[in-house]
Amino acid sequence: MPLFWKWAIGIFLFLLVAVFVGLSYMAGSPRDAYGMVRYALPHMHKGTLKVGDDAPDARLLALDGENHFHIRERTGKKPLVLVFGSFT
Amino acid sequence: MREAHPTDEWQMKSNLKDDVCYAQPKTLAQRLTIANDFTRRFKYTVPFGVDDMSNAAEAAYSAWPERLYVIDETGRIAYRGGMGPFHYDPKEVRAWLSAKYGEVKHPEKESEKPGGTPAAPVPGAAGTSARADKKS
Repeated sequence: MPLFWKWAIGIFLFLLVAVFVGLSYMAGSPRDAYGMVRYALPHMHKGTLKVGDDAPDARLLALDGENHFHIRERTGKKPLVLVFGSFT
Repeated sequence: MREAHPTDEWQMKSNLKDDVCYAQPKTLAQRLTIANDFTRRFKYTVPFGVDDMSNAAEAAYSAWPERLYVIDETGRIAYRGGMGPFHYDPKEVRAWLSAKYGEVKHPEKESEKPGGTPAAPVPGAAGTSARADKKS
């Protein structure tokens, strides 16, 4: 294999390891770094919404499991605070 | 919406410590169960909405893993918080609401004060909050 390609592969692997070490430090452990890359990053989107845009509507299920409501049904009379999150 | 740290994906040590261990829900019924567990455990009384399995609300608001919004009376986005966990800041929302609508008073806290009388609701104070998972 030409020397150039050996160096290129070596540098690439070094950078890969360096990025993983950096992520591990940031995330707290190599396992968390893997978790972040594998499960979190694909779902994190900056999005295009900005202040002043019309709030998108969405249909949500109430906790009784039977009734639905739309986000827009709750707007109009008072400001609406939306708190998005999950239990875990 | 999607769980952030389910047992079958990226579970964290804090999940074990706090006994918040759930697999990623595959059905709406499973999501509903987690949502109900949450509201029961924390006695969460604020109106709560569960996103459907297409994660439509999550996608529309780029909400995963957590995010805060304020929608004004005209139906427009008045405040858009940063992406959680690092830029998720409820205090910032409270400060924003206070600056725009006046200090938020909690009638139940006012009445607890000695000799205190329940405060009237502040006009335009934060109304309902639909929480998906925290809004599932």
